Amino acid sequence: MKPAVKLASLHKTFILKQGKGFRRTQAEVVAVADVSFVIPEGQSVAFIGPNGAGKSTTIKMLTGILHPTAGEAHVLGFTPWRERSKLAYHIGAVFGQRSQLWYHLPPRDTFELLARVYNLDKRDYVKRRDMLIERFGLSSFLSTQVRKLSLGQRMRAEIAASLLHRPKVLFLDEPTIGLDVVARQELRDLVREWNREDGLTVFLTSHDAGDIESVARRVIVINHGRVVLDDKVSTMRRQYLGSKVLSVKFNELPARIDISGVAVLKASGYALKLEVDTQVIAIEKVINVVLKAGPVADITIEDPPLEEVIAHIYSQGAGSSFAADLEEELNTA
Amino acid sequence: MTFWRKYSFVGLISARSNLAYFGDVVSRVLFLGVVLYIFLRLWKVTYAETAVQTLGGLTITQMLWYLTVTESITLSAPRVAQVVDEDVRTGSLATQLVRPLSYPLYRLWTTLGERLVRFFMNVSVGSLIAWILVGALPVSAVGLLIFVLALPLAFVLDFWANFLIGLGAFWLEDTSGLLLLYSRITMILGGMLIPLELFPRAMQPVLRALPFSSMVYGPAHLLVLPSLNELIELVLRQGTAIVVIVLFVGIVYRTALRRVYANGG
Repeated sequence: MKPAVKLASLHKTFILKQGKGFRRTQAEVVAVADVSFVIPEGQSVAFIGPNGAGKSTTIKMLTGILHPTAGEAHVLGFTPWRERSKLAYHIGAVFGQRSQLWYHLPPRDTFELLARVYNLDKRDYVKRRDMLIERFGLSSFLSTQVRKLSLGQRMRAEIAASLLHRPKVLFLDEPTIGLDVVARQELRDLVREWNREDGLTVFLTSHDAGDIESVARRVIVINHGRVVLDDKVSTMRRQYLGSKVLSVKFNELPARIDISGVAVLKASGYALKLEVDTQVIAIEKVINVVLKAGPVADITIEDPPLEEVIAHIYSQGAGSSFAADLEEELNTA
Repeated sequence: MTFWRKYSFVGLISARSNLAYFGDVVSRVLFLGVVLYIFLRLWKVTYAETAVQTLGGLTITQMLWYLTVTESITLSAPRVAQVVDEDVRTGSLATQLVRPLSYPLYRLWTTLGERLVRFFMNVSVGSLIAWILVGALPVSAVGLLIFVLALPLAFVLDFWANFLIGLGAFWLEDTSGLLLLYSRITMILGGMLIPLELFPRAMQPVLRALPFSSMVYGPAHLLVLPSLNELIELVLRQGTAIVVIVLFVGIVYRTALRRVYANGG
C-alpha cells in the first residue's frame, strides 16, 4: 500500500525569549524531536499526547503551516510546507474548537462557498453534496442558520463540509470535544464508516479514550516531542500495562489476600477489586488464591481502562531509554 | 476566472451573512440620526454667525450631505483589525491556511462584502435623514456615478491599513491602541468632521497628499461637487496608496507567517 503520510526525522525547535531588556535570554525549545512514522493509505491513526507534547506542531507541519527545523515529511507525495496550496486540495481538516461554517448562515451556504474555494465542478459538487447530506443526516437542518444548530448537528455538518472536495486524508483535531454521549458516538461511527468503506485516511488527535478506541486502529503516542509508543490500539491495551483488573464478589467475608504482583484497589465488605501484574504472577494463580479466600459469588476479569493505560504512558516521561525499555517490554510480553 | 469566482463568492457570502445582524444595523442608524442632527444645529449656527452662503465652497445643504457620506463611510468600517488580531491570537489563522485560499485576499473580500451591506444601509438611512433635515441634494446621474466610482478603492485602501494593524498582533500585546490612533487620524485628517477646505491653507496640500483623505473626504466631496478630473486624481491617489501599502503588507505578512507557530501551538 502507498503511504499517505510519511515523516522522516521530523524536527522542530522554537526560540523562546524570556525576560526583558538586557536580561533577555533566548532558550531553544524542542517541540518535535526526530519523529518518524509512515501511515499507509486508508489507515486510521490516533495521534495522542498530553498538552504541549508536540501534537499541534506536528499537525501544523503536516498541513504545511509550519516549516520544520530539520527532517522531511510527505503527505500524499507533497512536501506540505513547500506545496501547501496544492496539498490543500487533497486534504481535509476539522478542528473541534474552531468552526469553518458561517455562523449566521445555513450550512448549505458554506457548502456552496467551499465548492468554489475548491474549484469543484458544479454537477460533481451537487452529487457529492447530496450524498453527504444523506449519509450525515443533514437534510433536516441544512437550511437552518448554524447558530441555531446543536453542537452535535454542527459537528456533523463540519465533517461533511470537510469531505466535500473528496480529500484523501482527513485531519481531525479533537472532533468530539464538548459533545454529549450520543452525538459523540454518532460522530465516531460516521468517521469509522468513512475510513473503512471509503478508504479515507484518518489522522485523529483526541484526549478521549473512546474516540481512540472506536475510530483508530493504530495509536501513536507523542510526549516531549518524541514518539513513545506506536502500535495497534488493541495491543496497547493488552500488552502495555501488562495488568488485569479482577473484580470479585464473595458470599462471606473473604480472607486477606497478600501475594506479590497483586494490589488491592478496593476492598469493601464482600467485594474486592484487585490489580494483577501479569508479568509477576499468572492470572490463573491469582484466581486460585481468590477461590480459596472464600465462597465466590461473582468474578470478572477486565483490562484496565484505556484512559489509565494512556495516563500511565504519559507519566513515563520521554527519552530514548524509555523507548528502548518499551521495546524490551513489548518483546518480552 | 476561477480566481474571481472564488473570491467574489466569498464577498457575496459575507454580505449575506451580514444581513443577519439586524440589531446592529438599527443601532447604527439611530446613532447616525443623532449625529447628523447635532451637526446640522452646529453648522446652522456657524453659517448664521459668519453670515455667508457657502463655507469651503459648500452650502449648508451640501455640507449636511457631505457629512452624511463621511459618517456613512466611517460607520460602515468592519472590524478588520480586531478580526485579524483574533485570528492571530487564537490560532484560527492556522485553520484558514489549510484551505486553498489566500488569507489576506479572503479577509479582503469578506470585508468588502460586509462593508457594502453596511455602507448601503447607512447611506440609505442617512440620505433619508438628510433629506428630512435640509431637503434633497441636486445631483445628476453622472455625479452619482462619479461618487460610486470613488468608493471601491477607498474601501480597499482602508482594508489594507486595518489588516496591517491586525498583523501587529504577531509582535504586540495589544493592537487596540494602534487601531484607535488610526481611526481617529482618519476621522480628523480624513475630513470626517470638516471638509479639507476649512483646514488652515498651509495644511491642505499635506492633507490631500495623505491617504486618509482619499478614503473619507474624497468620495464625499465628489458627491456634493462632482468633477471628473477630481475623480481621476482621487483614484490615482488611492491606487498609489494601495500599491505602497500592499507591498508593505506583503513583507510584514511573510515575516508574520514565519511566526505562526507562536500562537495556539
